[in-house]
Amino acid sequence: MKDHIGGNVKRARFQALCQTLRPDLLRFAFWLSRDLALAEDVVQETMLRAWKAQDSLLNEAAAKPWFLTIIRREYARSFERKRLATVDLDELIAREEPMLAAAQDQELAELRAALFKLPEEYREPLVLQVLMGYTTAEIAAELKLSNAAVLTRLFRGRIKLRALCGEDTSLDPEE
Amino acid sequence: MMNCAQYRRAILAEPHAADPELAAHLQGCRDCAGFTERLLRFEGRLELAMRVDTPAASASGGRAAGLRRGWLAMAASVLILVAAGSLWLAAPNRSLAADVVAHMAGEPQAWARTDIAVPPADLAEVLSGAHMRLGPGAGMVSYASSCTFRGRLVPHLVVQTAMGPITVMVLVHDSVSKQAPFDKEGYHGVIVPVPGHGSIAVLARGQEADLRAVEEIAARVQSAIVWTGAGTGS
Repeated sequence: MKDHIGGNVKRARFQALCQTLRPDLLRFAFWLSRDLALAEDVVQETMLRAWKAQDSLLNEAAAKPWFLTIIRREYARSFERKRLATVDLDELIAREEPMLAAAQDQELAELRAALFKLPEEYREPLVLQVLMGYTTAEIAAELKLSNAAVLTRLFRGRIKLRALCGEDTSLDPEE
Repeated sequence: MMNCAQYRRAILAEPHAADPELAAHLQGCRDCAGFTERLLRFEGRLELAMRVDTPAASASGGRAAGLRRGWLAMAASVLILVAAGSLWLAAPNRSLAADVVAHMAGEPQAWARTDIAVPPADLAEVLSGAHMRLGPGAGMVSYASSCTFRGRLVPHLVVQTAMGPITVMVLVHDSVSKQAPFDKEGYHGVIVPVPGHGSIAVLARGQEADLRAVEEIAARVQSAIVWTGAGTGS
């Protein structure tokens, strides 16, 4: 009986954790994959794996990076499983148009389309920094890169993104 | 001493870096101050762009994953509850507060403690877009900018008070039915209805921020606003 109650408490805590984190996890998976259906699959599979492995999460404060690491692994697995075909970028943008559109804000929609065009090596660290609030050191640890390499990717990513958005880049420093 | 190229390279990698060397360069370089302001504005938009609305999860999952394995049945309840968790994004007042807080991320420089007031002509220009002016009762305005918020230009002001800088956003296109306090991501604030003119959001940041004091300042700012044009009627 005691174990049953303990199990219920544990389940409730895990549910609450998933409930809190899911929107950001789904956003991260979406920007990683640029495919909402795939992102939903990846997040679902991530939560199921996390449920199975929840005993390895010793500190709830570390839950977000823990989930993100699982998401990245799951996303890589989905590539191995399906050997995803190369998709034309315009086709990709058109397919995800409902997600990219921003009510009454064409500029935001254009920025989202520009993010789609940014190569993954720049898009992923940018999303980790801007959306997930990761520090350079945390991004470096997650992506298994040096701090200097992360800084270079963030710098180049912003330069490219600003150019894609038609921002004035005349004062940007040269690489 | 850092030069402009080094400074810009550094902030293009970490726009919110709190390095004293960067701050020292910024203080003495007008060109880089303008560059930083434009970059931080872009960053605010970028964060909003990344914050796409997330659809609620379905119990049957996405395209490929099915609840095939035995242990998954127990986890299914997790997914169903998670669906409810996504619904907060659809709650309009919560979302308005969330959007205000997200906007703050793009303009950290606005929060500086200072005793330098915005020139009256600059302030008047920012406020004229919302068909308003501000009487002296509001306090000293140290920052005034016309910001894009939910696709429209709105006045974003910072008023210096005894408890530090307080941000005021005049949201003439966003109505709320009643006063709505919020405490989110380190910001304490309140969204106050302004009949016929949408609402105003007033917020402070940090642990020392006192919601009651913020509400008093909101009332003070509201009574100092003089509307010079027709309301939105919303």
